[in-house]
Amino acid sequence: MKITDFLTPDRVIADLSGKEKTAVLDEMARQLASSDLILEPAACLRVLQEREKISTTAIGEGVAIPHGKLPNVQRVSGLFARSLKGVDFASLDGEPTYLFFLLIAPQDAAADHLKALARISRLLKDPALRDRLMAAKTRQEIYDIIATEDQKF
Amino acid sequence: MISIEQLFIGVALIILLSVFASKLSDKYGIPALLLFLFLGMLAGSEGPSGIYFDNPWLAQGLGVTALAFILFSGGLDTKWANVRPVSGFALLLSTLGVAVTCIVVGLAATYLLGFSLLEGLLLGSIISSTDAAAVFSILRSRNIGLPDRVKNLLEVESGSNDPMAVFLTIAFISLLTQDANPYTLFTQMFLTQMALGAVLGLVLGWALVWIVNHIGLDTEGLYPVLTLSAVLFIYGVTTFANGNGFLAIYIAGLMMGNKNFVHKTSLLRFHDAVAWLMQIVMFLMLGLQVFPSQLVTVLGEGLLLSAVLMLLARPATIFIFLTFTRFTFKENLLIAWVGLRGAVPIILATFPLLAGIPNAGHIFNLVFFIVLTSVLFQGTSIPVVVRYLGLATSRPSKPRYALEFEEGQGSEATLMDFIIPYNSAVVEKAVVDLKLPEQSVITLISRNNQYIVPTGTTLLQGGDVLLIILNKVSVAEVNRILFAPKPH
Repeated sequence: MKITDFLTPDRVIADLSGKEKTAVLDEMARQLASSDLILEPAACLRVLQEREKISTTAIGEGVAIPHGKLPNVQRVSGLFARSLKGVDFASLDGEPTYLFFLLIAPQDAAADHLKALARISRLLKDPALRDRLMAAKTRQEIYDIIATEDQKF
Repeated sequence: MISIEQLFIGVALIILLSVFASKLSDKYGIPALLLFLFLGMLAGSEGPSGIYFDNPWLAQGLGVTALAFILFSGGLDTKWANVRPVSGFALLLSTLGVAVTCIVVGLAATYLLGFSLLEGLLLGSIISSTDAAAVFSILRSRNIGLPDRVKNLLEVESGSNDPMAVFLTIAFISLLTQDANPYTLFTQMFLTQMALGAVLGLVLGWALVWIVNHIGLDTEGLYPVLTLSAVLFIYGVTTFANGNGFLAIYIAGLMMGNKNFVHKTSLLRFHDAVAWLMQIVMFLMLGLQVFPSQLVTVLGEGLLLSAVLMLLARPATIFIFLTFTRFTFKENLLIAWVGLRGAVPIILATFPLLAGIPNAGHIFNLVFFIVLTSVLFQGTSIPVVVRYLGLATSRPSKPRYALEFEEGQGSEATLMDFIIPYNSAVVEKAVVDLKLPEQSVITLISRNNQYIVPTGTTLLQGGDVLLIILNKVSVAEVNRILFAPKPH
């Protein structure tokens, strides 16, 4: 599975307007639902928040991967978002989070879900790539950086 | 008089042979149902073992039971999310579509074979529904990759059109045996049958889910007993109230299958097994019920009606309802060809026998013949037709991992995913050194496009996705361990 299987240029937010966790999750859920019409923003937000309650999905180095499963979606759906100011996402190092990859998977697609999460976490592990994503000027540029990197592994 | 042990041995041997026969069908592409039917005919009075069975009452009783369980299991296995996009078309096909097929075949029987109009329409209604079991087994067993929407439409159509065929059959039998005004009979009966069937199916299906989730049985083995009796209850109550029991059962199954309930995986598996057993029993019995020497006498008429059904009635139905839709011409051709008939028509054909319709024996043999040719010609040629129309899609083989987890009622165990932070203290540590709380086990690590089943010495990396079975009370502790920052 490639990241470009579930990420499209219209599923990129170049600069999030929200400043705290719930607002940012809501903003991302709405944007994803407007591109993937099967999703309902309220349902997305609910599963994302339920998952955040178990443990934060901020995994350090300014990266968070909020994710959740929904019963009536057909396939894995993703969205990338950047916050230039940074958001407090309750990360382990207490640092703000800048790069977000949101993932919604069908309830019964555990295998795809885990594969997609691992691919995203691997992509954003590279410090040089994170710097380039922060420096990118448009959402198309952000998408192109991810798509190019995605082809390499 | 044979002893009970002898009976056991005989029945077991026939069923075992049927199970082995299904293996044969996977290999050589003969529909398994056809083999069961032939085994029944072989075992029957005109075969070598010479079991004499001519009891339409028993055949109908067993047939109705079997059908109820098959439809329930079919509903359970249908994923609403998959069929929702095609549900409107399926609804059209399984109501008006069934009626069109019935009328075309009925007119052919009347004008070509000299049946009276009502008897012709009765014959048409009996063979008007496609068979869920036959369609499912052919779509699934032979690795035929079909476009998703075609597959979903065929599945939900074949699962949902039996109630309409049952309704039409009962209605025409009433018209033949009673002096009723056809117009009022149809409208009243249709409304009561379908409305009651749908409502009772929804209500009782919902109640069943609620009971399963709240009854709190100590023994897991009692849950299938509960659902087993519920199937009979839902069918019985609905039919008793003059509703359509088959519709109720299918809707109850559909409703249950798309909700969460305890022991879901094992209950689904159980009903799958019951459905298979019921199919084998039903087809064997139907094979016993038929006398091959009588079939020969309807050869010409049977072939003619089969041709009308396959080449005229079914395609006409499909093209009437699907021409100006998003289904392409080729897809419609394929859908028209996958109009397999199966056990339902044969069971329905026992209804006129019991109702004492004069031509019932003739109708039964014709129906049996049509089903046989449909499964034989259409069933075996579907892969060729799919390829010829260029609609084959490769079906990705799914690797299976132990990712399913069943939450027991009141169980405190759960399955959760965690992503190891890039700068966590556990990075480069061995699983055994994590000191995870008791009753928490890392079952799987997803890393670099592969799954790793960890051992105690497996080293964790930042960004690893872990699947952990843990006690709900341990979530905080696991979090504390995995999300501890690496000391500087």
